Parts: sequence; structure tokens; C-alpha cells
Amino acid sequence: MKRISTESSPGRKKLSETEFKKRVFAYTAILPVILIFGFVRIVPIFQNFLYSFFQSTIGNPLQQFIGFTNFKDLFADDLFVLSLRNTTYFAVFVTLFSVAFAVLLAALLSTRSKASALYETIYFLPVITPMVPVAVVWKWIYDPTYGLLNYVLSWVGIEPIGWLVFPNTAMVAIIIMSVWKIVGYNMIIFLVGMRDIPESYIEAARIDGASTMQVFWRIIMPLLRPIMLFVLVISTINSYNVFTQVFIMTSGPQGAPGNAVRTIVFDIYENAFRYFRTGYAAAEAVVLFLIILALTLLQFGISGNKERRDKRRLLRKGGLV
Amino acid sequence: MARKLCLVMFALLLVASMAFAGGAAETGGKETLSIWCGYPEMEAFYKYAAAEYQKTHPNVEFNIVTHPLREFEQKLSATIPSNTVADIIDVSVYANQKFIEAGFMPKMPANVDQFVKAPGRYSDFALKNNMYKGDVYGVPFFQGRTSLFYNTEMFAEAGLSGPPKTMSEMYEYAKKLAKYDAAGNLTRAGHSLRISGQGSGVAEKWWFVLYPMGGTIISEGKTPGTYHAGYNNDAGRNALKFYVDAVHKDNWDDHKIKHDAEAFQLGQAAMFFRESWVIGDTAAKAPNLKYDTALVPSDARWGRITNIQNLYVTKAAKNPDLAWDFVLFMVNDANQQWMLDNVGWLPARADVKLDEIIARKPQFKAFIASEPGYEEFGYIPIGPFDELMTRLAERLVTAFLDSSLVDNPAGIAKVISDAAAETNQILQRYNMFGE
Repeated sequence: MKRISTESSPGRKKLSETEFKKRVFAYTAILPVILIFGFVRIVPIFQNFLYSFFQSTIGNPLQQFIGFTNFKDLFADDLFVLSLRNTTYFAVFVTLFSVAFAVLLAALLSTRSKASALYETIYFLPVITPMVPVAVVWKWIYDPTYGLLNYVLSWVGIEPIGWLVFPNTAMVAIIIMSVWKIVGYNMIIFLVGMRDIPESYIEAARIDGASTMQVFWRIIMPLLRPIMLFVLVISTINSYNVFTQVFIMTSGPQGAPGNAVRTIVFDIYENAFRYFRTGYAAAEAVVLFLIILALTLLQFGISGNKERRDKRRLLRKGGLV
Repeated sequence: MARKLCLVMFALLLVASMAFAGGAAETGGKETLSIWCGYPEMEAFYKYAAAEYQKTHPNVEFNIVTHPLREFEQKLSATIPSNTVADIIDVSVYANQKFIEAGFMPKMPANVDQFVKAPGRYSDFALKNNMYKGDVYGVPFFQGRTSLFYNTEMFAEAGLSGPPKTMSEMYEYAKKLAKYDAAGNLTRAGHSLRISGQGSGVAEKWWFVLYPMGGTIISEGKTPGTYHAGYNNDAGRNALKFYVDAVHKDNWDDHKIKHDAEAFQLGQAAMFFRESWVIGDTAAKAPNLKYDTALVPSDARWGRITNIQNLYVTKAAKNPDLAWDFVLFMVNDANQQWMLDNVGWLPARADVKLDEIIARKPQFKAFIASEPGYEEFGYIPIGPFDELMTRLAERLVTAFLDSSLVDNPAGIAKVISDAAAETNQILQRYNMFGE
């Protein structure tokens, strides 16, 4: 068979003609997808960076170059600062509670049984339900007069609460709904990780006299670290991008007070698509991008440091020798 | 080789068949007009008008889509600049003005312009509020005029013989009409105010009280085309106090109960301000409700808001002549009458006879009434109006929740002055600020 050399260094393998054709075909096949992805996802990101340095009008997003003025204006804008604070508050609590509950549920359902499969399905259902109907249903649940939640609370003598009406409860209400929506997804990821842990590790720990809690904290959790990192990163990114539930739950005469639950994406949306301040909204999007990037790097850093510390500890104890 | 040839032939066949399919749709003589509207209750009218139009234009098909108002406005924001909007849109000046100013909306053809500007066809107010640089871009269709709705049974039960005539009278009536449960929770609002929610609606409803008290959202500056906040004054402070006292001091309205038309139809509000569509809506949802309507009570002055809703043909229209023809058809006498009778929105045309409908449905009377001294005010046709209304609404929502503003003139003055500063700042950004 004729062979085609693609090597540029002695260490690289030569490809057969068939292999070469396969690769050409594969790259050609994925090229349209890459082009479409680049056009609809990557190009707009660079465009967004560009717009953030311009003053814009409805028909002309590049009306006038103004340097960092949009960024300077952002931090003098009370609404942006408020939305940044609200989003951070939302992200911290949603990430914290959705991860904690997901780990707990995954631990409870990690043994395979018919009942666990049923519960997995039940907990996963909110994840696959679209956010708009979910938000509408929760808006009814939170209704101060006819809401299911207040009705249930009345059984134990709690007075009706205007969940979405008052600023101090509106954010809590949206956090509860968001945790309910996302917890099933996180649970499934943890569940896969837990079921992947070799039974022999747990048995060995038990033979050494470890209690259930010790097994959980000393065996399961350290082995789940890469999954924990993945879930934390995804949950943080999703939480910082919160929009739909805020938008739905603040609409209408019975909606939540807009500023109490104002989030960054909501603010971006309002500036970009309601007031057509495209450049200003682009600057907000850049700030959001940088925040998420910084938090993701921080999470990777913390996780990497912990892994290195653990390795050093094991080396000191001779564990890896 | 043969396989490649087959593939090429197949591709050519496919392209040809698609091209011919497109050609058939165009040459088949069928025309489609798409219509978008932000008032779901208007769908019945559009369907009726489309069916009537098809009697003489059987080749025209219609694609009618309605959305709740805020969602509709958002849809316009995405589709007008990208030229993917419907052929005809039914939208108010305040929501469309920014697109008009940016050059996204085409001017009306001469025959439509002539129709709109014919003497006596529309009120001066409707034309003035619809004009940009001397041109009218949309055909005034219906108008959102506000009147006071009141439950006649509740009024009789409270010993009140008729609707309030002044704002202070309305406040006192509301106190009498409010009902509470054994624990002291409000179960029926004396008057249902708009105190929560998203968008500019909260500011618009506050304006209903502000205007009679002598204020307005923005006043014209000394230089033409400039404006400044028109509520950083006693009227603004009194209007905010009116709301704060209603919720936190005398508690004849409350955040925890239902609001707006729904509350009124459920018997959970004795009074509220709204447009005439509520009459059609109530006929369908609460046909046994005993109610009437009245003019907005007066204070330092007397007036009601009139928000004109227009029909625009967009630049995306494939056949603008046909679209304008259908627009003119929708505003003919018979269709304007049908709209009032069956949907409840008040026709924008001033020269259409409505006496017979009003005789059958007397609740419409307050919306038509035009007493000496009863002024009309409305949205100023400038691009940033929506932004400054929405920003003001956000501040008002926060203020309405703040019980510390009760008997706190300094606190109220600060809320008003901060909000006015923001209004002025927005106007400055658009180079429209002037003392």
C-alpha cells in the first residue's frame, strides 16, 4: 500500500492513505459545524468586546469610539452595582445549596435499586422542564392570596407572606425555585461519580474500621473532587447568567419588585434591547465575562492547590512510595 | 463516477424543485399579510377584520400573532432593526418612537397621509402626539383613555351615592370601602393602585394621580425640544405621599392582595383606574359584576391620560400598498364600531358615531365624555421616554414598599428629588435636557 508521509519529526507516525482520507473526510465533515459555531458564538464575543468601547445608537452600534468611558460609567451606575451585588448573592446561595443538596441526594440514591431509579427521575424532571412554564408555575405557588406555599404554611399557623412582593423575600423565593430547578442535574453528575468509585476502596476502609461518615468524607468526597470542580464551575456560570426566572417573576402587576431581584443579565438585556445602549450593555457583558472567568480560574486554582497539597502529604507519609 | 453523477443530478433536482416551489407560491396569486399586536384581546378584532377583508380580497391570507404587551415590545426591539418584523404592527407612539427616530419606520403614502390629516378625522391631541418632524408615521387606531371604574354594589353598601369628584374624596371613599379580615389583613382594596411589577406601567399609573395634582413626568424646557423632570415639586411629593399613605398608613391597598382588573372582577377592589378594554374583558370574565365608570377625579387640575395606539406598515412589508390598504380598512367606520362593541378599546377616530353602542353599554360614556376643563395628557413622542418612565417606575416600586416614608416629608422629598435627578440625567444623555 502507498504510504503518505506527514511527519516533520522522526517521532511522528506515517499515515496510510486510507487513514489520511478518513481524516480529511472527518475534518471536512466537521468544518461546517465549526464555521457555524464560530459565526454564531465566537465572532459575537469579539464583536461584544469591540462594542464595549463605543457609544452606540439603535441603528449604529459603532457610532463613536469612547475608550473605557462605558466601563467608567458602569461603576458609577447604582443599578449596575445593585445588579452585580444581587447576582453575586444569588450565585453564592444557589451554587452552595444546589451542590449541598445534590451531594446529599446522590449519597442517598447511590445504591442501585428500583426506588432509586424512580427518585432519580423525579429529581431530574425539573431540569428538563423549560424555565418559562416553571417560572410561571412558581409565580402561582408564591401568590400571596391563592398560592400553594402560603396555603401549606397556614396549616402551621404562619400568616400569608408576599413572597415575590417584598424585596427581602423576593430574592429568597427566586433562589429556592432556582435550586429546585438545578439540583437534579447536579445530583445526576454526583451520582455518576459516586457509582464510579470502586467498591473495593469503601470495603477496605470499612475493614479498617471507618464509620459511614468517615467513608463519606475521607474516601468518597476526595475522589469526587474533579466532579465537584465541574459542578461548581457549571453552577457558578449558570447562576451568574440568571435571567429567565427573574424576568418572568418580575412581570405583571403582581410581579416581584424589579430592583430587588435585578441581576446583571437582566440589566444587560434592558440596556441593550429596551434602551438600545448597545455599547454600554456590551461593557456590562465584558465585566460579567471577566467575573466568571476569574471565579472559574479561582476554583481551578483552589482545586489544583488542594490536589498538590494532598499529594505532598501522601509523599511525606510515604503513601505514594 | 456514476455514483458522483447521480449525486450531482439529485442535488440539482432538489435545488430546482425548491426554486419552482417558491415560484409557485409567488405566482399562485396568494398574498399573505402578517400582523403583530401587543394586546391579546385584539386578536378577535383582527380575525373579524381579516374575514371581512377576504370577502372582497379572497387572494389575501393573514397571519395574526398577539403577545402580552411587554413581550411584544421586546419582540419589536429584536425584529425591527433586523427587518424581520411583521408587515403591520399595532403599537403605541412611545414604544415605536425610538424606531421612527432611527429611521426604521417608513412614512405613510400620500393617500394614507391625506386620510389621517382630513379635518375632523382625528383630534388635534391624537395628531400632535403622533407627529415627528411634521410627519405622522402610523394611522391612529384606538386609544387608551383612563377612567375610574367603581363597583356600584360596594358603593351602595358603604352608603356612597356616586363616584368621587376629587382626589381627596377618592382617598376618603377608598378608606370606607376597604375591608379587612379578623386578623386585620386587607381583603378588599378601597382602590387598587399599581404598586408593584416590572416596566413603565407603575409610573404611568402614578401619573394618573400626579397630573391632577399639578405635576407631570417631563415638562418642556425653555428651548424647544428640551425637557426636564416635571414632578420634583409639591405635586410629585403629594402624589407619592398619596400612595405611601394608602398602603402603609390607612392600608386601603396592600402589596399582598390581587390588583388591577383581576382584583376588580373578583370583587377584591372597589375602585381602580383603567382603560375601556376592561369593559369588554369584564363582560367575558365577570358578566354579573355591578359597576360603572366615571371621570378621573380632579385636584389642582383635571385630566386623563390618552395613549394613542397606531397601525404602522413596516419596512419588512413585502407588499406595502396592500398592507396600507388593509390598515385603512381596519379604521373604517364599521370596524371601529365593531372594535368598541366587541373588544372594548375606544376608537381613535373622532368622526365615528358611537351613540348606539354607548346607549347599550353606558360604561363607555366616561371614556367618551369631554367636559370643559377636563384635559388630555399623554406620552411625549421622544425616544428616551420609555427609559425614563421605566427607571422612574423602578424607584417608585421601591418607595411604595418603604413604610418609613409615612409622615416623613424629608424622605419623600429625597425619593422624588433623586428620581428627578435620574430623569434629567437620562435627558442629558440624549441632549434633550433643558430647564
